[in-house]
Amino acid sequence: MANTTQRDAFWTRIYEMARQDRDIIVVSEDMGAPALDQFRTDLPGQFVNVGIAEQIGLLLGGGLAFEGKRPFIYAIAPFVTLRCLEQIRVTNAIMNIPVTLVGVGAGFGYEDSGPTHHLTEDIAVMRAFPNITVHSPADGVCARAIAEMSRTWPNTNYVRLDRKPMPEIYPPDADFSRGFSVLKSGRDGLIVSTGVMTHTALEVAGVLEKKGKQLGVVDVFQIPTQEDGLAAALKDAPRIFTVEEHFLPGGLGSYILEILNTRKMAIPVRRIGLDHAKGYCYQYGGREVVHEYYGVHPAGVQAAIESELR
Amino acid sequence: MTGAGQMRREHGMDKLIAALEKKSQEIRGTVLDMCINAGTGHVTSSLSATDILVTLFYGNILRHDPKNPTWAERDRLFISKGQASPLLYTILADRGYYDRADLKLFAQKKGRFGVHMQKTVPGAEITCGSLGQGFGLAAGSALAAQMNRDLYMVFSLLGDGECHEGSIWETAMFASHKRLNNLVAIIDRNYQCVTDFTENIVALEPLEERWASFGWNVKRINGHSHRELLDALTGYRSRRSTRPLVIIADTVKGNGVDFMSCVPLWHGIAPKDGEAARAREELKRRFSDG
Repeated sequence: MANTTQRDAFWTRIYEMARQDRDIIVVSEDMGAPALDQFRTDLPGQFVNVGIAEQIGLLLGGGLAFEGKRPFIYAIAPFVTLRCLEQIRVTNAIMNIPVTLVGVGAGFGYEDSGPTHHLTEDIAVMRAFPNITVHSPADGVCARAIAEMSRTWPNTNYVRLDRKPMPEIYPPDADFSRGFSVLKSGRDGLIVSTGVMTHTALEVAGVLEKKGKQLGVVDVFQIPTQEDGLAAALKDAPRIFTVEEHFLPGGLGSYILEILNTRKMAIPVRRIGLDHAKGYCYQYGGREVVHEYYGVHPAGVQAAIESELR
Repeated sequence: MTGAGQMRREHGMDKLIAALEKKSQEIRGTVLDMCINAGTGHVTSSLSATDILVTLFYGNILRHDPKNPTWAERDRLFISKGQASPLLYTILADRGYYDRADLKLFAQKKGRFGVHMQKTVPGAEITCGSLGQGFGLAAGSALAAQMNRDLYMVFSLLGDGECHEGSIWETAMFASHKRLNNLVAIIDRNYQCVTDFTENIVALEPLEERWASFGWNVKRINGHSHRELLDALTGYRSRRSTRPLVIIADTVKGNGVDFMSCVPLWHGIAPKDGEAARAREELKRRFSDG
């Protein structure tokens, strides 16, 4: 398994496409990436740097999209979303002008940068809007596929990317058309996860398997996803565990509960994520330290699951 | 240069200005009527900008086609002060974008439009009302024109109170850096916000110097003079400057209805009952006096 970053996998694909498609425009809010350096060099007419100015970044992208361009508006995740949220609401949700918002460092991607650079509310916030889809890949293969989908995505999508190299989960020819993927099946329950936490889910499922418990893993990389398909994949599970690097209210766990509730599916759900009671985290020394603070490190997730399986 | 040619041009200009004045008067009356009828709408915000939009739409400035509102080569008009929707809706109906009868249903059940501007109305381009946004979209449209080598011009009508928004200055800085000389901002400088005068809230002056320091060409004019508006806009398509142009149009909020015009709290309110009759009367008297 190769180690790639989602960020570079995403931008590499955008670059490849942009070489053939002059309507692909990168609007950077003073944000780079190794894979964007070549884009800037080779396609300067399709790269606009607005500086540290998220409002004009979003509005400029909206104006470009109004004229038929597909802008990819790029910044650190909290800034490309929350800093210009009301502009997103008017331009992308209300007016339904399609752009792609690319945020790097969702969750604790900037682990030692503290809470200003952590982003643990974005799924709840962005999925509250009609006409906006959240894409939350778990690896570079998925990130690349999302890059490709974004070019023709009919509405606005927000892509939350990680910047750290991590092993690939998906084979290069994986099918991402359903918005979720069943990575592993298991009779004792299903772990539903998104983004980097899918790695944790797989790890924990592996550990528990050695202890005789069969847990499946479902990666939800798109919200809203193909909900009927996901409901069908969940329906026989005796219990569901949702795992996310995000505050619990409004996040992936809430989304799963809504899907079950709408369909009157009575499956016990244990949501594992960040508790509001823990507030924001000022601890340093790596992502694992932050995860441990909230109890979403592999041992914490495992303990939470085991407590329900007893 | 003098002579018959210039005299003819001046005569033509005088005729055009007389026609624009008449049209402005008519539009003001319709705006007032539709807001009184609806019991809502930004009357004063519309009356201050009337002469500006009338000049754009009837003074051979804006290139547009009412029969084809999304014509690719049209000039874009991004109204950033979406509160002026009664004004724009009245003009669009008058120019034939849709039936004038639609105006009677302004902000009412089964009507096609409400208090703030919405992109579903043919010719309206965008949904607006949250301030500071239409201008940024306009910059994006102007940048797209540069990228595509399209020749349309992009206008944006800003409120002066809107210039309190930081996004206006983010856009201003960006547009001059990118030399968006196809972008023209017109500021409806009526000196009033909702609760007070701009200079009492957070002073905007010296507004010309501020825009100039952001790299814009600046013209300051009387925004109720069609002659000055025409002068300011003449040749905008072939200006020999790489800078975007801002026209600061000094106006009176509620122009034409004196009792509403220097009272910030009339913002967003339509007069009722006796005040409605008085407003109609003042408007009529004001413009029949010349």
